[in-house]
Amino acid sequence: MAKQIYDVIVIGTGAGGGMAIKTLCEAGLKVCALNAGRRLDPEKDFRYHRMPWDMKFRGLDDPKRLSQSFGYMDNEYTKAAWDHEIPFTVAPGTKWMWPRCNAVGGKTNFWGRSSARFGEIDFRAASLDGYDVDWPLRYEEISPFYTRVEKMIGVASTVQNRPSNPDGSYLPPFNFRCLDFILEAGCKKVGVPYLPDRCAQLTQPHEGHPACHFCGECTTGCDVGAFFSTPYFLLPKAEATKNLELLTNALAKNVLVDENGHATGVAYIDRKTRQEVEVYGRAVVVAASCLESARIMLNSKSRQWPNGIANSSGQLGRNLCDHLYGESARGYLPQLVGQPSFPDHVADSTIAWMPRWQNLKDPHEEKFIRGYSIYPDGGCSEFPWFANELDGFGSSFKREIKRRYPAPVSFGIQAPSLRSDTNFVDLDPEVKDPYGMPVARMHFEWDENVLKMWEHSKQVCAEVLRAAGGVLEGSGEAPEIPGWSLHETGTCRMGNDPKNFVTNRFGQTHDVPNLYVCDASVFLSCTDKTTTISILAFSLRTSEHLIENFRRGEHKAA
Amino acid sequence: MAGQGIQRREVLRILGTAAAAAHFPGFSKWTFACGHIGNAALQIKPAEYRPQFFTAAEFPMVERLTEIIIPSDGTPGAKEAGVAEFIDFMVANDPDVKYGLRTGLAWLNAHAEQTDGKPFVELTPEQQTSLLEPLGFKDKARPGAEAGRHFFRMMRKYTVAGFYTSEIGYKELDNPALKFYAESPKCPHPGDPEHADLSSAHS
Repeated sequence: MAKQIYDVIVIGTGAGGGMAIKTLCEAGLKVCALNAGRRLDPEKDFRYHRMPWDMKFRGLDDPKRLSQSFGYMDNEYTKAAWDHEIPFTVAPGTKWMWPRCNAVGGKTNFWGRSSARFGEIDFRAASLDGYDVDWPLRYEEISPFYTRVEKMIGVASTVQNRPSNPDGSYLPPFNFRCLDFILEAGCKKVGVPYLPDRCAQLTQPHEGHPACHFCGECTTGCDVGAFFSTPYFLLPKAEATKNLELLTNALAKNVLVDENGHATGVAYIDRKTRQEVEVYGRAVVVAASCLESARIMLNSKSRQWPNGIANSSGQLGRNLCDHLYGESARGYLPQLVGQPSFPDHVADSTIAWMPRWQNLKDPHEEKFIRGYSIYPDGGCSEFPWFANELDGFGSSFKREIKRRYPAPVSFGIQAPSLRSDTNFVDLDPEVKDPYGMPVARMHFEWDENVLKMWEHSKQVCAEVLRAAGGVLEGSGEAPEIPGWSLHETGTCRMGNDPKNFVTNRFGQTHDVPNLYVCDASVFLSCTDKTTTISILAFSLRTSEHLIENFRRGEHKAA
Repeated sequence: MAGQGIQRREVLRILGTAAAAAHFPGFSKWTFACGHIGNAALQIKPAEYRPQFFTAAEFPMVERLTEIIIPSDGTPGAKEAGVAEFIDFMVANDPDVKYGLRTGLAWLNAHAEQTDGKPFVELTPEQQTSLLEPLGFKDKARPGAEAGRHFFRMMRKYTVAGFYTSEIGYKELDNPALKFYAESPKCPHPGDPEHADLSSAHS
């Protein structure tokens, strides 16, 4: 039997891979997709409608497992979906958290759904403030892709005319809760924006998907698909074409190459049989998420690519950036103390945001360059987490918990790190995963600029809280450790110069014309915005570029 | 993951201590657990509960402490919610806190003997409360009782975690989590964005 050759092998089924798979399949290309884990069964695996007392550990999780937990989403409700088998290491001095959802759909199963477009201010940031280089494209070039993605996935928001945040086409926004109106009034006094977030959660039925039922448990998976995830929104469309073969429990190991160093397929480990298997294609799309994509490509060593495939620039794995997360302020609103409880927790809290307001007119207005955004949060939540900060015990304690229950607020920062030569991922020379593949080794520290944003945000958020009539109780002692946000970018940056960038402006690697990258690793900078909608938009653009290259005969169809 | 997760993260941190892997027999006696969804009846029978970690002498002490921290006072408290069982179960699964809790209970008993001449559970409710006040109220704290305050804070964290994740705890707060709505719930006070009237009406 002749070996089967697909048109395209896609590694990964998250936002980037899912969009590539759908786009390529609909264009008539035969696609083989590899996913490192299994398919989830929403009925069995999404336990989010269970009350805590129906869970063995009340949803708090087994204490013995907590230390191995990768982030807040990896918990008793979702534990089957997060990879605990593949370790990673950190260089001395580096702290890193690396939550990897290996289930089909990846992190889109549980993502935070905030969906702001990158803007011209991001693409041309270097021209404005002199740091690093501009993106190899302008906003107007990617804008139509954002519009198409917004139509596909449905984003609830409003037109806001913010200089850093281009508007798109939106479903009706979430309604503001009491705390939103109070904080909005405080923000007005301080002179910072408080607006409906851009939330990919369906406030009305959209493109055949049902409206949200506002249970507030989105990050443990939605069993009706009322927010975007690839298993609900993209993979069914790809499967309907009959052009997709999806291999699960297939852990990509390396990209295979021919005599010329061009990609011919992918070697993967079948995690069930623990055997190495090869699949072949005319082109390969790597979309395993920023760090895993870098690991696979660095591990794709050959005579032609001794330092990893498509790495003649030496930039593969470099320029790692991440969002600094942390609690810039916390406290409570006396206005709401003693009020009846209210369903505040209906969107896992991406109802409102304070989009970047710094350095908009003058790029050097602040003591830092670029800017950050804030996500406010609060009100009645699943659990009165403020209780441990109250004094005493007994009836007065119990009564105070109830009175304070509707009133807590907090402000979370999302701030971009700047690229630096010392932040990168490489392969650990000694440690291997259970399948014999070198593990990723992280080298990362927050830079001075992002730490200045953190300090700045603590001041502004305290001011907002006080202006809103609130009581400030404190802030996070330190930012969360790097990796926490799940927004890492930059290991395969796009740029026009093959000497300095891994991929060209279309996400096609400079060195290997039939190798494409469709995830946040191509992003030149990490901006103050979340990554998913941009991954989708860039993946759509890259996929169409790939299709065009097939049409032009640059990659021969199978 | 924008903006969300802080709340669950906080819950995790309440109990979150790094834990070394250790084998534990199982959860067969966990009376709350594993009921299927909609199994509303919460059958707590403390008399039948056989502690997994605490000794027969320690368990009533834990139960009494939870009851003092979140009392039954017009609405049900920690005892009705079976919080002592929750604590026993969690501690049984958490090697890192076993020692601290056990020595804390021993310390409290010794402290009770020294002060009132009896083990903690045999004291009157008034004696128990006055023994605990310096541990639990900032303005009643006395120097030299750091370890005792630390132990009590830990016990209080466990009690809060156990109570407010129980059905009784949800009812206590009228916790609106996990309900379904036709549209995203909106502020019922239009025309009062600062909610200033609300607070004056309230106070």
